[in-house]
Amino acid sequence: MLKKTQDIASVDELYNIANELRIDILDMVYKSQSGHIGGSYSSAEIVSTLYFSEMKNLDPLNPRKENRDRFVLSKGHACPVWYASLAKLGYFEKEKLNYLRRLNSPLQGHPDMKSTPGLDMTTGSLGHGCASATGMALEGKMTDDGRRVYSILGDGEINEGAVWETALVAAKYKLDNLVFFIDKNNLQMDGTSDEIMPLLSIEDKFSSFGWHTLTIDGHDINEIQASLKTAREYKGKPTCIVANTTKGKGVSFMEDVRNWHGKAPDTKEYEAARAELTANTFNL
Amino acid sequence: MTKLVKSNKATRVAFAERMVEYGEINQEFVVFEADIGYSTNSYLFNEKYPQRYFQMGIAEFGMMAAAAGMASNGRPAVVAGYGVFLTMRALESVRSFICYPNLNVKLMSSHSGVTAAIDGVTHQASEDIALMSTLPNMHVFAPCDSASSRALFDVTMGTQGPVYCRLLRDAYFELYDEHTTFKCGGSNTLKMGTDITIISYSDILFQALEAADELEKSGISVEVIDAYSVKPLDWESIKASILKTGRVIVAEGHQQRNGMAYEIATRMAKDSIHAQFDNLGLDDTFAESGAYPELIEKYGMSASHIVKSANKMLALNKGHLLLEKEVMA
Repeated sequence: MLKKTQDIASVDELYNIANELRIDILDMVYKSQSGHIGGSYSSAEIVSTLYFSEMKNLDPLNPRKENRDRFVLSKGHACPVWYASLAKLGYFEKEKLNYLRRLNSPLQGHPDMKSTPGLDMTTGSLGHGCASATGMALEGKMTDDGRRVYSILGDGEINEGAVWETALVAAKYKLDNLVFFIDKNNLQMDGTSDEIMPLLSIEDKFSSFGWHTLTIDGHDINEIQASLKTAREYKGKPTCIVANTTKGKGVSFMEDVRNWHGKAPDTKEYEAARAELTANTFNL
Repeated sequence: MTKLVKSNKATRVAFAERMVEYGEINQEFVVFEADIGYSTNSYLFNEKYPQRYFQMGIAEFGMMAAAAGMASNGRPAVVAGYGVFLTMRALESVRSFICYPNLNVKLMSSHSGVTAAIDGVTHQASEDIALMSTLPNMHVFAPCDSASSRALFDVTMGTQGPVYCRLLRDAYFELYDEHTTFKCGGSNTLKMGTDITIISYSDILFQALEAADELEKSGISVEVIDAYSVKPLDWESIKASILKTGRVIVAEGHQQRNGMAYEIATRMAKDSIHAQFDNLGLDDTFAESGAYPELIEKYGMSASHIVKSANKMLALNKGHLLLEKEVMA
């Protein structure tokens, strides 16, 4: 358990944090019988690494601290992973996770920056969050306080035209304070990304738009950290990190199964998943 | 008050000029443009403040979301564009990422209503009031001339939250002087009268004034209100006027449906105000390419249509009065 938010977690701790987030997400979605587990799980290591080792000047007691690094979950439906992280960091009581998607809850079905402390941007409609993150990065360049902006996009999300409008803008303004992760789990609601809309090489696309592009295993924390370091040191271009991931990662019967995009587990599934995740937690 | 002087400065130009001056007063705000800066006149801001001007290319959707990101960091953003593109192509972005989180993004919308005229329907924003007024947290202002554009720029910047400011392609008349005050939720009564109230805003306001002059020649006493604050509407002033005259015509360069007339009719019904009512605007139809005066004539928004509507209302009313007298006899 981290004592202070700005304590930087070790790699082993980050794996455990990702696993704890998965357990919280499972509890959350099971209790509300609604929410998106699959895409939350594919992003768990990236989000853990960002919030618990990479992002600077976060302060749960002052969520709008001006020079904080920003995070925008552009694939807003995966907000359970965002909420679980913010609760763990102490932005709000963990007990609130029990009320995901309920009336009067601060945890809306899709992220609302005015409802949830620590959320930097309202998202949920695909293709918008990454554009807003780009606006934040433009502002960061004006203010010049060294802050960085991170956004996670789904691979399905980049079907949206607005993503490519944004890709042009970020390259034009040389936003080297901006990092996009493409959570490439190759599954969308209706099928595989190859079936729904073949993306071919995402790296080639972003490169040709003028981005610095990297490819990693999105569940390997060492690779995530190394890519973030490379991005930090790269000047003159925004960085796009294509993270190969598995939807539903961490629970064997959810992995790479289309149906777990937005399905809530029944009691039997919940118990099986929880047992599996609990067994994955290792003693440090 | 209603002595009109021919104008040679469109509201979009006056608004942009004031924006440049205001850039000195408020050094925080930025401007986004989508490749029509020489038309919206936002280029004037770029000349003076290139560091605060973002040319986003022909991509209104991404521009709007980027403006939301900018504003989320506490820096107000003015987004320039044509009414159609700002309110329709980027509508979801305006709704979900600007209005929902109530961010300080100001839409500077040129070529609104049918004032794009010869450009044709794709460039005429004849549904903008309906779309923008419907969004929670959004404010809608509609200047008609240079002085009101300048004043409403300041009101726009001074209003917390999103604003849609409806600007026009062409110059019509100069009505106001620099001493007239404008405020969020305000209106200006331009003529006092007792027989009929005409409510309008934006370009069609000049048709209302012309109609009033024409009606006055026949001895009819007309009250004309410039409801420049479309949302929030100055209902108290409008209500008082309707209660006084008992007759109201709402004339707007917009679809009849879900424009200002619909709001006024709804409020009248809720407040149990019994008055004769008519509204002028596009009657569930698109316009077409044409010169502006031809368009408003063909589509029922010109002074002559307002006069016709008023005369019909007054004649009907005479009929009621005769009937009442007969009953009494």
